[in-house]
Amino acid sequence: MDTEFAQRRRRDLIVAACLAAIAALVPLFVKDVYVQNIMVLTLMYAALSQSWNILSGYCGQISLGHALYFGLGAYTTALLFTKFGVLPWFGMLAGGAISALIAMALGYPCFRLRGHYFVIATIVIAEIALLLIQNWDWAGAALGIDIPVRGDSWLKFQFTRSKLPYFYFALALACIAWFVTWWLEDSKWGYWWRAVKDNPDAAESLGVVVFNSKMGAAAVSAFLVAVGGSFYAQFVSYIDPESVMGFQFSLLMALPAVLGGIGTLWGPVLGAVILIPLTELTRSFIGGSGRGVDLIVYGTLIVVISLALPRGLVSVFSLRKGAAR
Amino acid sequence: MTALPETPLLETRGVWQRFGGLVANSDVSISVGRGEIVGLIGPNGAGKSTLFNLIAGVLPPTQGSIIFDGEDVTKLPAAERCQRGVGRTFQVVKSFETMTVIDNVIVGALIRNTKMRIARQKAYEVLEFCGLAARADKLAADLVPSEKRRLEVARALATEPKLLLLDEVLTGLTPVEAQTGVELVRKVRAAGITVLMVEHVMEIVMPLVDRAIVLNLGKVLVEGKPTEVVRNPEVISAYLGDRHAVGA
Repeated sequence: MDTEFAQRRRRDLIVAACLAAIAALVPLFVKDVYVQNIMVLTLMYAALSQSWNILSGYCGQISLGHALYFGLGAYTTALLFTKFGVLPWFGMLAGGAISALIAMALGYPCFRLRGHYFVIATIVIAEIALLLIQNWDWAGAALGIDIPVRGDSWLKFQFTRSKLPYFYFALALACIAWFVTWWLEDSKWGYWWRAVKDNPDAAESLGVVVFNSKMGAAAVSAFLVAVGGSFYAQFVSYIDPESVMGFQFSLLMALPAVLGGIGTLWGPVLGAVILIPLTELTRSFIGGSGRGVDLIVYGTLIVVISLALPRGLVSVFSLRKGAAR
Repeated sequence: MTALPETPLLETRGVWQRFGGLVANSDVSISVGRGEIVGLIGPNGAGKSTLFNLIAGVLPPTQGSIIFDGEDVTKLPAAERCQRGVGRTFQVVKSFETMTVIDNVIVGALIRNTKMRIARQKAYEVLEFCGLAARADKLAADLVPSEKRRLEVARALATEPKLLLLDEVLTGLTPVEAQTGVELVRKVRAAGITVLMVEHVMEIVMPLVDRAIVLNLGKVLVEGKPTEVVRNPEVISAYLGDRHAVGA
């Protein structure tokens, strides 16, 4: 049975490597810029949702305020670049580090809350942060920041002629987020997080320091989401508070994981691959004229899937793997 | 009580626990020697579970101190007491329901083993010890109640405790299941682990324990050999009322 477990872990890794290789080849055949754009977003949300899943799926601390870390990443990178000329690569790491620290600072009071109270706290804090940024003149206030175009280069992480570099970066990001999850899943932290989610009292009695476990999950989760935010700032090259820190980002990070299977390795990827193209397509084909028709279609789908497969789409696959998921 | 040749593994000294106006434990001083199986019994509401929670570190006592293995652990939280060798089960089982049986036990094993492969190996050994190895890959949610009880014990044993606190692990089981449980407790002691068990059902627990401590209305009523305790008129009156005590 031990080897069976090791085999499953290895199979997951091989499947992921194959999927990444296939994804890397797709742009060779798909030249349409609009479709490439959707692919970039899909990969980005796969990465974001995978990161959200670490805190909310594995550790069970449902956050609907992760837009805060996304925005922090975007703003840190953009501000460092426009005000101090710091390369986005460093901005990305700085944004990640700042987000991780802020996640822990916020976790310190908030992780004492349980269940719905915690969720509400995350929403409120993200909304407060949004208001602060909207009124912070130095950071562009409500107008936001226009990231000046200085020509295509990997060094400055700017590409105007082609979306392909962004595509490959987003792919790398999704792979990193997946791999970090894969690696943590069979580590002390992975077990602690799941124990904390299922029953904090029992976890504590087995030597798990519940509070520290939550802090660890929050830091890793926020760091990765912030890197995604940094990427997004470079990708769209113009950010304003609402477009990087709005509540919709918190939802768009949570939904793929919830739809695909919360607290599972493959859930966020599966959810993002279905949800993000659907979001984009419904928006462009039926969203234009009739107000909110796209949202109706989108919402209906979520309701149907949640009712039919409450444990997420991955539960269809896990049937053959048995209960072990 | 006869003095033990060495320091007891666990001692509570004048422990009080009040919840608002309710006194759950008043001036409870007990001790548990190394290698003993001690039964903590008493009618409903006697304060057994409260005392258990105080020993396990779920909450600090209002007053008094708890000495474990020669160290004052009164102020230590549950996780740190586990680290020092206090393992426990819960009266209302608290399995990690979305995790497999083996993963449940791995959580406990991780406190002593940092390498995953070794923790997994260790968890599997503990499952074999508890007779749950065949269920290792099942979800904890899919176990029957008696198996869940054993999973609680397995999880606690995986933390390699010096003292195992069993909170009504034998209650509500069929006679056959209870007998398997009794054998498991004996095996645990044979492995060198001291056991303090809260039990409700006298006829199961009495043949098993070396010593029984009877709590009533938050106080230690009597303690001693099980055969003496069951004949004690005070115990009988606490359980059955004064009328029955007269005949004893």
